[in-house]
Amino acid sequence: MQRRSLLKAGLVAGGLCSLPLAVRQAFAADPFTFYGLKSMSGAFASYGKYADMGSRLAVKEQGELLGRPLNYKVIDTEGNAGKAVRKVQEAIQQDGARFFQGCTLSSSALAVAKEVDKAGGVFMTPVGADEVTGKDCNAATFRWSVPTYGAIRETMVPLIKRLPEAKRWYTITPQYVFGEALLENAKQVCKEHGLEHVGNSYHSLQEQEFSGYLTNALAAQPDVLVLLNFGSQSSNALRQAVNFGIKERMKVLLVWSAGLDQFQELGSDVLEGVYLGAQYWHQVDTPMNRELVAATKAAYGINPNYPLAADYISTKVMLQAIVKTGSFDGPTVAKALQGLSYEGPTGSESIRAGDHQVIKDYYLLLGKAASERKDDDDLATVVSAGKSFPEVAATGCSLA
Amino acid sequence: MLSLYLLQIVNGLGLGMIYFLIAVGLTIIFGLLNFVNFAHGAFFLLGSYLCYTAVSLTGNFWLALLVAPLLVAALAWVVERVLIQRIYHLPHTFQILVTLGIALIIQEASVIIWGPVGKSVAVPAALRGVVVIGNFVYPHYRIFLIAFSALIALALWLLLERTRFGALVRAGSESTETVSLLGTNIFRLFSVTFALGVGLAGMAGVLFAPLRGAQPFVGPEILGVAFVVVVIGGMGSFGGALVGGLLVGVVQSVMTTLWPQGASLMIYGAMAAVILIRPYGLFGRA
Amino acid sequence: MAEQLSQTQPLPFAKTQSRGMLYLVIAVLVGLPLVLPSATLACEILIFAMAALACNLLLGYTGLLSFGQGIFFGAGAYCAALAMIHLQLGLFSALLCAAGAGGLLALVVGALAIRRTGIYFVMLTLAFSQMAYFVAYTLSGWTGGDNGLLDVPRPEISLAGHTLVSLADSRHFYAFVAVLFLLIFMAARRVIASPFGSTLMAIRENETRAAAIGYDTRHFKILVFVLSGAVTGIAGALYAMLLHFVPLSNIDLQMSENILIMTIVGGTGSLFGSLLGAGSIVLLGDFLSDLWPRWLMLLGVILILVVVFMRGGLWGGLAALGKRLGHRDKAVAAAKEEVL
Repeated sequence: MQRRSLLKAGLVAGGLCSLPLAVRQAFAADPFTFYGLKSMSGAFASYGKYADMGSRLAVKEQGELLGRPLNYKVIDTEGNAGKAVRKVQEAIQQDGARFFQGCTLSSSALAVAKEVDKAGGVFMTPVGADEVTGKDCNAATFRWSVPTYGAIRETMVPLIKRLPEAKRWYTITPQYVFGEALLENAKQVCKEHGLEHVGNSYHSLQEQEFSGYLTNALAAQPDVLVLLNFGSQSSNALRQAVNFGIKERMKVLLVWSAGLDQFQELGSDVLEGVYLGAQYWHQVDTPMNRELVAATKAAYGINPNYPLAADYISTKVMLQAIVKTGSFDGPTVAKALQGLSYEGPTGSESIRAGDHQVIKDYYLLLGKAASERKDDDDLATVVSAGKSFPEVAATGCSLA
Repeated sequence: MLSLYLLQIVNGLGLGMIYFLIAVGLTIIFGLLNFVNFAHGAFFLLGSYLCYTAVSLTGNFWLALLVAPLLVAALAWVVERVLIQRIYHLPHTFQILVTLGIALIIQEASVIIWGPVGKSVAVPAALRGVVVIGNFVYPHYRIFLIAFSALIALALWLLLERTRFGALVRAGSESTETVSLLGTNIFRLFSVTFALGVGLAGMAGVLFAPLRGAQPFVGPEILGVAFVVVVIGGMGSFGGALVGGLLVGVVQSVMTTLWPQGASLMIYGAMAAVILIRPYGLFGRA
Repeated sequence: MAEQLSQTQPLPFAKTQSRGMLYLVIAVLVGLPLVLPSATLACEILIFAMAALACNLLLGYTGLLSFGQGIFFGAGAYCAALAMIHLQLGLFSALLCAAGAGGLLALVVGALAIRRTGIYFVMLTLAFSQMAYFVAYTLSGWTGGDNGLLDVPRPEISLAGHTLVSLADSRHFYAFVAVLFLLIFMAARRVIASPFGSTLMAIRENETRAAAIGYDTRHFKILVFVLSGAVTGIAGALYAMLLHFVPLSNIDLQMSENILIMTIVGGTGSLFGSLLGAGSIVLLGDFLSDLWPRWLMLLGVILILVVVFMRGGLWGGLAALGKRLGHRDKAVAAAKEEVL
């Protein structure tokens, strides 16, 4: 009796286990599958949702790919780097996947980049960690977003020019490797422009209570408060800063904002008069951006935000490269992407051959007052835009 | 420098009062029901979301402060009747698992209803502005929070010490069997207490909303703080929740000047230290 | 009092294992890569099954609910990775390092945590888990901080400098992990069946009585902690080799929670439960996340259902099913006899 029932249990278990097999086999046929790595569930679901929308839009626009039907498969990274890497390994081994786009977390992207490189694929990501096009760069990996060097220089330097009297600068920095990189660049800029870096407050990875750090900042009496954190930490720091009346006592700069969706969450009361750094802004007037805004409105009824735009253009560029080379071979497409110039949402963009970094604008925005807004999404104006990137030699990237 | 530390201590007390509000519900639930509620943070976030909805519908924060905690308490009452009642007798392990499940459900439901991006709640107009103390400022809203939390603490104390309900809760914490033998409907007492404890978490969520917005994934962090406060103060102790909350708030605030990276480490280190030195927390009993 | 109430319905009894169990495990280990779409997925399941098994040694057999398993998992991963990267250690030396790191940390955490019982013990493990997470991201020079530790090699099995088997292919790596799992499983069975194991179960049933009989319960608890930590450390090291990468998330609270969930859902009544739990949670997550981004809600519902209806976890459910089928067969046989 024991053995028979155990056998039955085993069969049931086996049957349950083979369900994923059935799901995967549906994709093993002739069509070409493009893989999107999106954090659909977990703590970064807000990013993943829009990123997925962007990639889908690009895939739909593409339609067919060199005569083969084009499929798009989402891999839910669950906001967890370990899951992301394992799922990518599986896709590479079982489904012959070679073309990946996405990732929300720098840690996921760095590890995925290694796997894709090993498999001879192509991976384009918007994450911010310098190492992606720095010491961990590789032939398969490309990055769309502007990393820390540009983010700092395209926000602080224009602001310094706008506020010639502002000599005292205070920073609030998250204890991320990424946060450190932002801080290093900020310190460098302060030195170059003869500014006084009057103090810095580190805070831990999960901190949401900034009253203490804001009090520290007030004690230092700076002219400008520079927030080097991002995501929900930056939103809370900004909210609480406004609550503390910081805006009346000094200027505030948020270097690495998430763009439209973060602004929508915060609202004009918080954003008015705050300087915001952004990778993308839907109001920027370039031919491609106009198209993107129109297409996004038509497909989803909203204005495009940063995750959507970043993954849209990255997906599009990758698909177009496949078309241009006429090949589905990873290294061939990767080679074609090197040095490629194209029209992107920020204007003319190009992929630097030396480190696979996309050379594009980074924006300094200024939050608008509620009374000045022309529509719900008109939350900020562009004050400055520009391209700042370290020399390839300085990035630590050596692509042979 | 001294004035900076002084202000950090004041700020810490303010924080501490809010932590007390978050934690006191948890400690009451554990004290009477011997129930470990890992969904406490989720009900907190539900409170902040209901606050957002109430404010967007009526524009009135005070109305939200009244209505949202009641709604959360009502939901908690239903959950208690349907589910929690079945698992009081189970070991803590299963209580943790069930409430983790409830927390996940609430979290994901929040994303479905309100979207994955957070929402903001404006500070009520009457409380905008700051108090200026020399070089420092302190927001009116945070002062209000300290005062309001103190009021709630007083009200709770009166409830627990001076009403029949409170007497039943305290007696029940010692021995539910005896209280039930003396004629009280113990199940009704449990339901009300659970709803009260969770409603307090919801209220804390409402009060926090202008400071942190309403976020779907904030549950675990709030739960962590709540447990630290409750454990330090002594599980089941009202006074412990108050002292524990203030202690955690002050430690966290002072650390942001002394050793900012270590602020959250200090909290958990303090919790470990307190448990190792005083087995039942500062004011807990066996 | 409410606390006394909870002792009338403790966790499902963990018992010593039968020989049939061993054959079942071997069958599953052989069948897993055949039934699943990829060997990588099967590897991940076994790795977490190992961690769940170690967790069950504490939970099912000794009655200790530890939120600190992530500490040992992450520490094992980091140690093995650093040993391979900086000291060029081979496969078995790295695994040994991981076991050592996991065991050592378990010694410290265990020795401190067991000074308290009940919910305070749980909270101590939780506090230590948070502190370990802090240490891991602060020492970013060693651990890579939030970026994680990259370029972790997967060494081959070699003897005296000669490569015997390369583990680069995920199927080969699976075979290695499966053999390791089997060895650990058999060792765990031995431990459970030994007087040491019986003492653990005695401590779980009634620690005061065990102490009264004369056992130094502290020593036993610390020892099982060390064993659990060492095995969890090995699991962490294998995970690092699987991913070629050690993410910070290995050591965070959510990892400890996941391991606990797998242990309880699989069923604390048996070591086999760890395989069931790890398999079902990992597969469920994969399957559901493909269907619905809000799949965590379904996981929450499942957790509640398991506690309310199937407290013995999947193992308990299967055992109950087996018993019911067994009774039905007996009834059928009896009926047949009557007819004949």
